[in-house]
Amino acid sequence: MAVKKINKKNIAKVLAVWRREYNIIVPSMATDVPAFSEWDGEDISFLDWYRNTAVPPKSVVLPPMEKMMSFRKEKDGYKTEVSVNEDKQIIFGIRPCDAKGLAIIDDVFTNGYEDYYYASRRRNTLLIGLGCTNPQESCFCTSMDVDLATSKDVDIMFNDTGSEFIAEAFTAGGEYLLKITTGLKNATGTDMKTAKSVELEAKNKLTRALDTRGVSKKLQACFNNEDFWKQVAAKCVSCGICTFLCPTCFCFDINDEMVRKQGARYREWDSCSFRLYTRMPMENPREEKWRRVRQRVCHKFEFYPMNVDIFACTGCGRCIRLCPVNWDITRVIAGLPRQSDVKEKASALKG
Amino acid sequence: MIIANPKKEKKYLNRDNVYLPHMVLIDKIIEETPSVRTIHFHFKDDQMNRDFTFEAGQFAELSVPGTGEATFCISSSPTRKGPLECCINRVGLVTNALHRLGVGAEMGFRGPYGNHFPLESMRGKNIVFVGGGIGLAPLRSLIWNILDERDKYGKIYIIYGARSAGDLCFKYDLDTWQQDKTISTVIAVDKADGNWTGKEGFVSAVLKEESPRADNAIAVLCGPPIMIRNTFPVLEELGFSPEQIFTTLEKKMKCGIGKCGRCNIGNLYVCRDGPVFSYAQIKSFISDEY
Repeated sequence: MAVKKINKKNIAKVLAVWRREYNIIVPSMATDVPAFSEWDGEDISFLDWYRNTAVPPKSVVLPPMEKMMSFRKEKDGYKTEVSVNEDKQIIFGIRPCDAKGLAIIDDVFTNGYEDYYYASRRRNTLLIGLGCTNPQESCFCTSMDVDLATSKDVDIMFNDTGSEFIAEAFTAGGEYLLKITTGLKNATGTDMKTAKSVELEAKNKLTRALDTRGVSKKLQACFNNEDFWKQVAAKCVSCGICTFLCPTCFCFDINDEMVRKQGARYREWDSCSFRLYTRMPMENPREEKWRRVRQRVCHKFEFYPMNVDIFACTGCGRCIRLCPVNWDITRVIAGLPRQSDVKEKASALKG
Repeated sequence: MIIANPKKEKKYLNRDNVYLPHMVLIDKIIEETPSVRTIHFHFKDDQMNRDFTFEAGQFAELSVPGTGEATFCISSSPTRKGPLECCINRVGLVTNALHRLGVGAEMGFRGPYGNHFPLESMRGKNIVFVGGGIGLAPLRSLIWNILDERDKYGKIYIIYGARSAGDLCFKYDLDTWQQDKTISTVIAVDKADGNWTGKEGFVSAVLKEESPRADNAIAVLCGPPIMIRNTFPVLEELGFSPEQIFTTLEKKMKCGIGKCGRCNIGNLYVCRDGPVFSYAQIKSFISDEY
């Protein structure tokens, strides 16, 4: 299908067309922090203020808290009920970094045993990407193999050309959306050129980069370097915000609640930053903070790549931007002891 | 939806939802020690009773609706039809709730999950079981499995210990095994009291004393972490290579299927890649967090 173009003034009209069949989820200030939530049918002011949300769009398909099932105790035993919202929905305006984050979580929740709740929502969700024109100081997506203007993980990609967007569909779902939006013109060569120059301008705004060459090996080499990890973890306050707001973090907890004969089982986001996360009655493998910080860094840059051959980081920069103590993962990675240093130190100790 | 090559498992799902437990009913409760009980149970659904199979070493999530779920190995043998058994140490919220249940009560059950003991590669070999305390539970599943196919294996040693005589689990099985002339069973307690006539000492020390031969043998151990750590070197001293030693590890788990994230040791998840590991694998673990 040809690349289409849409005037920014008409975005509300286009969304309204889609809204007849889908719930539309857009960046919103309705909650205390910028997050994705249901479109009210009018307001498209996010096109002006939106750089990226604080809460990543994973919250749409993996809510911070959800009821997995409810129980009712009756004479002949427990009755269990499950209800999942399987309404068709569109996440409009997802950035390429967050689309990649969702692709990573998709893999976790659908390989092996399929996660019923996640998969039910995800399979009914279309992603409409919005090229990033105004990256922030904390962003380093291009170092993590993310492109500002395109993504293989979305159904349609929108890119800014000034007063218009050009829109390219990559999947059948995306093509369908463009088809039901009547009256769209094809983008011209000039439009494509403009989009390209907008993209280049955006790329030039990126100030941060992360050299990921050999990171996994370096992490492996310094895994037992307790002094290094203690230093890295020193200012961390274990608040868990870096994990909650990370587009690739997926850990969860499961808890029950019962009042008289009615109860429910809930799932909530959990975090490896918390001491209780791994605590067993007799022991806790990650009681100390430096072990928990090490787990987070190594999971992103060593363990996850060992299993799936991709870094579990998309360079969205949230864990830097929103950390209350300015903990900076790019500085940690850049400051990893070089293998030769480790060897020298080891041989110095031996000698 | 963009999903990279999903490999789907669909074993014993309830309404296609892996988190939805099957309800089971308690047939019998055996109080093993003041804090440990074994619960025998069967599925409410007859079809599940007929279809359900598992392998020795696998685990399940038992739950009390409204209180929560916890992870337990299945301690009965896959060779025996009839009720499933799980051994429960009273230590936390869910295990306390499970200790309050009586015969006829209902629980939730999800499973079986995880890998299992490598029975195939154990055929024709001598098997040395080393267990401590409630660590006998997963071994017991394998022991009965092997005893039910006795002629396929060589000599069998069972070396089992607990803190005191009162902490020994499965005393009824221990009696049977001690009377069985085809296996050598040694039972010890860390500290003997007045009535104890058996051996005294740590399991690792008793193992050294018994010194079973390592050639053509497999050692399988389970117990508290301190016992496991002290037993590896003794087995190596006896000539067991890391490939000949197997154990089963325990971690905090919530989902049991490799999603909730907390049971990892380096890149491996104990629920998905374990819980059974060879000592060779453990030695190659990136992390010391086990």
